[in-house]
Amino acid sequence: MKKGEIIFSAMCIAFFGFMLFETFELLGQGRPGEVGSGLWPFMALATSTLLSVLMLISSIRRSSAAGPGAQDLTAEAIAEKRRARITVSLSVVCFLVYIIVMPWFGFIIATLLYIFVFALILGERRRWVLAISPVLMTTVIMGVFAKFITIPFPKGIGVFAEFSRLFY
Amino acid sequence: MLDHYLQAVATVLLPHNLLAMVLGSLWGLLAGALPGISTSMGVVLLLSFTYSLSPMTAFVLLVGAYLGGITGGSITSILFGIPGEPSSVPTVIEGHALAKKGRATFALWVYLLCSIYGGLFSVVVMIVATPLIASFALKFGPAEYFALTVLGLSVVSGLSGGSMLKGFLSCFFGLFLATIGTDGITGEERYTFDTTILLGGINFVVAMVGLLAVSEIFIEAEEPFKEYKGGVQYRGMLREFPPFSLFKGYLLTMIRSPIIGTIVGALPGAGATIAAFLSYGEAARTAKREPEKFGKGAVEGLMAAECANNASTGGSMTILLSLGIPGSNTTAMMIAAFMIHGMQPGPLLLSTRPDIVYGIFASMLLTNLLLLGLTILAIRMFLELNRMPYSIFSAAIMILCAIGAYGLTNNMDDVYLMFAFSLIGYAMRKFDIPVAPCILALVLGDMAELSLRRALLLSGGSPLILVGSPISIVLLSGALLSIVYPLFKKPKMLQGL
Repeated sequence: MKKGEIIFSAMCIAFFGFMLFETFELLGQGRPGEVGSGLWPFMALATSTLLSVLMLISSIRRSSAAGPGAQDLTAEAIAEKRRARITVSLSVVCFLVYIIVMPWFGFIIATLLYIFVFALILGERRRWVLAISPVLMTTVIMGVFAKFITIPFPKGIGVFAEFSRLFY
Repeated sequence: MLDHYLQAVATVLLPHNLLAMVLGSLWGLLAGALPGISTSMGVVLLLSFTYSLSPMTAFVLLVGAYLGGITGGSITSILFGIPGEPSSVPTVIEGHALAKKGRATFALWVYLLCSIYGGLFSVVVMIVATPLIASFALKFGPAEYFALTVLGLSVVSGLSGGSMLKGFLSCFFGLFLATIGTDGITGEERYTFDTTILLGGINFVVAMVGLLAVSEIFIEAEEPFKEYKGGVQYRGMLREFPPFSLFKGYLLTMIRSPIIGTIVGALPGAGATIAAFLSYGEAARTAKREPEKFGKGAVEGLMAAECANNASTGGSMTILLSLGIPGSNTTAMMIAAFMIHGMQPGPLLLSTRPDIVYGIFASMLLTNLLLLGLTILAIRMFLELNRMPYSIFSAAIMILCAIGAYGLTNNMDDVYLMFAFSLIGYAMRKFDIPVAPCILALVLGDMAELSLRRALLLSGGSPLILVGSPISIVLLSGALLSIVYPLFKKPKMLQGL
């Protein structure tokens, strides 16, 4: 985590530094006698950059103080960490794919598939849960949000749109 | 004055508002009771659905979710030893210990009655105090408003958890996010990079849902596959109703705890958790009857914690409605609700929208009473819901988040932005950077900037205007104290939380 924190702090410095650079264009904008558009973001970004630098220094110091052996993990712990990373990565990708395909597949099909795949990723293996829950959950969500609150969900394109129009 | 109250009660009792109260309370109870969903997350998830509602109905719904969340947090604490909310940790210690001794139903009654009593106590304080504080705050100009927002932002010290440095980084990141979009004074585009998606600024509901809710599910996904199994037998509620003499026997605790809760709730950034712990600690310190039972199922400890955490709601709402300062995470989210409906919480609200302020008073009063009945019904329901597979439950939350973001403008761009914020929120949580200060700054940032610039415009650029009135000086001193105090003193019992 120490190494990760150092990288994260460096990324923060790069991000806030870049935005601070962009802010210089805004400084001085506005009418005479008026506080321009750049002052407030400049203060926020300059402080953020400074705090990121302090966070980096603090991470490096803690990393040095912990010594080289402090990060040693057992094989089990490493495997557990890897498993957690894979699960989170798959969860993120699954959600990203869900929101990307929704305008193409329509809300119903995308949601049915999402619940099924997301449950699988989280370790659900019971067949009856995987079979019933997506249908039940999608039906409830459709009933509440598409029918009752009338949110115009994406219908999809082509044959998917035809399918969606059967329901909303 | 009485007319306002009667009208507010009549409005809140309209069928659609009553329905909103019941649904909001049930949702709050659910959010509070289930681990992994906090009260603030429950309120955030509801926010986007309030766009299409009238302001009154929206606030009745949100107040229900807020009070329900604080109340519901203790159900799983007592039954299963899992705190639904951080404020329920003392309840786990004493309530679950009682449950393990076969007194779960008795503990549930004590928790429920004390919660409702604490909540009602603080609502009465709120009704009396809000107009008084608001009438005083009407003297505020831009400089005072700036000082007020600084005081509001200073709660970051209370929301920072372990590291003040990280809390402030999160806060300043939020202040930066609030500047994205078109400048309200000059009309200049800031950090939009010629895209239309950022032109109108970052919608705080989108940011909140991503930073708080979706990122939480990603964090939860790291845990191995979970299926909940409760271990406490539940018996019929009516059989174990506690006698009145029980509460009479702990009179001092019953008086002291809601007072602590209300005062701590009114302190910027303190909230229900600190209120519950302080009250519990005070009860443990002064216990005369069976002090040895603390930690092993002390009824007095359970009473103290429950009275205080619910009493904090009225305290938090008092300073939100009268000064526009959030007393807790959840009331910070409430600011967003006011903005969604074109209002700014603060001293002017009482004169511009008295219907809303008195309506909130009435809905808080009625919701507390309603919760007495709803919680009894909900306890059985949650025993069943806890058996729902976590994987399916998480998927449902993710879909609700996507719908919440999409429903704002019926545009997928908001969903993509919400996804980006979920990744930012995940990274922040992984590196122990608290998310709450960022959200608070995003909500208050715009007001802080505009007040500062208006004040400087009035003074011809002289920053002395910012400390030119006693009110500003007091508020800025309060902010300074709020930031500095936690650096030197943190109650021992809160360390490590």
